[in-house]
Amino acid sequence: MDNHLQLHLALSTTSTRNLPRNDEKKRKFDESFSDDEMTSNKRTLPLLIWNDNRNMDCGCVDVEEHAVVGWPPVNSRMRKVAEHHRRESTASNYVTVDNGGGGGGGLNSMYVKVEMEGIGIARKINLGIFGSYQALTAALMAMFGKRREMYKLTYRDKEGDWLLAGDVPWERFVRSVRRLKLLKKVW
Amino acid sequence: MAYSFPEEVLEHVFSFLSSDRDRNAVSLVCKSWYDIERWCRRRIFVGNCYAVSPEMVIRRFPELRAVEMKGKPHFADFNLVPEGWGAYAYPWIAAMAEAYPFLEEIKLKRMVVTDDTLELISKSCKNFKLLVLTSCEGFTTDGLASIAANCRHLRELDLRESEVEELSGHWLSHFPDSCTSLVSLNISCLGSEVSFSILERLVARSPNLRTLRLNRAVPLERLANLIRRAPQLVELGTGAYSAEIRSDTFSNLADAFSACKQLKALSGFWDVVPSYLPAMYSVCSGITSLNLSYAAIPSTDLVKLISQCQNLQRLWVMDYIEDSGLDVLAASCKDLQELRVFPSDPFGAEPNVSLTEQGLVSVSEGCPKLESVLYFCRQMSNAALIAIAKNRPNFIRFRLCIIDPQAPDYLTLEPLDAGFGAIVEKCKELRRLSMTGLLTDRVFKYIGSHAKKLEMLSIAFAGDSDLGLHHVLSGCDSLRKLEIRDCPFGDKALLANAAKLETMRSLWMSSCSVSFGACKLLAQKMPRLNVEVIDERGPPDSRPESCSVERVYVYRTVASRQRLDMPDFVWTLDEDSSLRYS
Repeated sequence: MDNHLQLHLALSTTSTRNLPRNDEKKRKFDESFSDDEMTSNKRTLPLLIWNDNRNMDCGCVDVEEHAVVGWPPVNSRMRKVAEHHRRESTASNYVTVDNGGGGGGGLNSMYVKVEMEGIGIARKINLGIFGSYQALTAALMAMFGKRREMYKLTYRDKEGDWLLAGDVPWERFVRSVRRLKLLKKVW
Repeated sequence: MAYSFPEEVLEHVFSFLSSDRDRNAVSLVCKSWYDIERWCRRRIFVGNCYAVSPEMVIRRFPELRAVEMKGKPHFADFNLVPEGWGAYAYPWIAAMAEAYPFLEEIKLKRMVVTDDTLELISKSCKNFKLLVLTSCEGFTTDGLASIAANCRHLRELDLRESEVEELSGHWLSHFPDSCTSLVSLNISCLGSEVSFSILERLVARSPNLRTLRLNRAVPLERLANLIRRAPQLVELGTGAYSAEIRSDTFSNLADAFSACKQLKALSGFWDVVPSYLPAMYSVCSGITSLNLSYAAIPSTDLVKLISQCQNLQRLWVMDYIEDSGLDVLAASCKDLQELRVFPSDPFGAEPNVSLTEQGLVSVSEGCPKLESVLYFCRQMSNAALIAIAKNRPNFIRFRLCIIDPQAPDYLTLEPLDAGFGAIVEKCKELRRLSMTGLLTDRVFKYIGSHAKKLEMLSIAFAGDSDLGLHHVLSGCDSLRKLEIRDCPFGDKALLANAAKLETMRSLWMSSCSVSFGACKLLAQKMPRLNVEVIDERGPPDSRPESCSVERVYVYRTVASRQRLDMPDFVWTLDEDSSLRYS
């Protein structure tokens, strides 16, 4: 039985069916892929540049400013309708924002911008859904596809100073943080 | 024995076959059946207008009466296909107008249709009956005027979601007074006013009118008069559903509605004033389809309306319905088959309504016939998806869009692999799946192993490596359409599964890691695939071969791979394996 998985240009359906499926072989498949720089664990980051302005009530945020092309996947008609409603909702009370915090589904919305050193594109994360530094860091690592040991979390507080995260109690941190940045650890 | 069976008898037998698959199967039995079948085929569906040429179709099927065709790939709806890419209807219509003078029906989706095209149809096909243009563009109201003026037996004119350049509202007056054959009229995509008196007279002289979908410009005050003239309506799309609150307007409207005993479907509802919703209550018990995708109605009023519609089978609604409204839906509408929930504020970073994964869980619990879902929300968990899968193994279409791409399970912060894995494992009849959220290669392993009936898969911002794509291409036996954006999938999986691509209609990959070199290789090895490199940065051979292309669109075709209408940002391989562009 062939132990080494060969990946080659498959010219007929029969050859693709011959690809073994069990886990041991899969590991080889994995290995052969990670040889190639292009297809290794790189995760494509969305080209998402969120507007730092947390106050969305102004209704004046230009859609194009913070949109990835074609995301979310709503067609142009729906997009126009959404724009129209956004303008209307500031004036009317048709839409109630449920920010009850906890319970049913209300979220404590505290979005901050997150950057990672070496990655040109920033992301935004809702601090309100985390309860600890550990949870936050885990989520950030998952988001950027990196390993926790390699990075340290820093933040900019409301005074504008950049500090290492973890020194103050979580609640105090959440109240003062304005921006996050993950820096590579220098050994 | 086949050769002594009269052709007329076989033809008669074949006339009972309506499905394309059956007819295709029949035509493969033997040469004589192939010949008989092709002469008696009246309807054809071309899923990709570039998969075959008009000449080939006409040569094989000389007696068509109805043609349905699709052009641009689905992601064109989200601006991922640059303007000018193609899908022009004219060459098809020009060839068919000549070959099929008795052509009756044309249905086009995502194609560029010009006024000339419409005029040609109206003047060449004397018996023309039905025109449906879904998400098409390129024509003006002048083209519509030609159709109205010249198609004496027109039954259906349906402009679903098309982009029409509106030069004047008078096109409607081109329907001659003698035209009384209308069964269906859908002008909901038009922005400007049409003459109300013309519209009323047209409706009044169309006793067979079953479907009337008005545009936003038709005010609520006019709606009652229109409905009164067509109490036989089965499907109604209102215009703007707002007016000053007056009891006479209300009672007029309520009376008009109550006369419509056959009404099954409602849509429209721009600019809703909720106080007018009760005017419709008399028809609600008969309503099976309710499209409120454009309606900003507060949850409480939505709930009142929906709880009247006990026989609802299809609901399209905005997320204003919230979890609480979906709970009511789950309790009231036990016949519900399809639910679509659209985002009212898709670009806002923060939720504006209380709609979460819980709403979908409720509906999946409460509605035993639910089989088709499109759901936009801002948070999801594996637990919810697993519950949904357990509740509703009968899903055929499951499309979930979490607004923040790569959002993890909000409870555990893990990827949503397990959740979607449960969906494909439990829902054995699943034909269409769209996924979002934080997803690793593992989810694709589940999909490859379980989703054996999956025909269409949409992936965005997911996966870790080519292994993900490989799992899908090697495992999904029924896959026809695969569309991928912003995933780290590249050459290896593509090339290793090249043969699979010929069993599919198409593959779309944009902002992935497919190199130009791989595209060339694929095109060289697979002569019946058209590998279109769609790149707006200039000729791909001006960059290293290992450079990723912006977009690649691969589709099987028996027509020439050098389509003549390629714009300057599309590259395909020439016969002599050199790069070719227009």
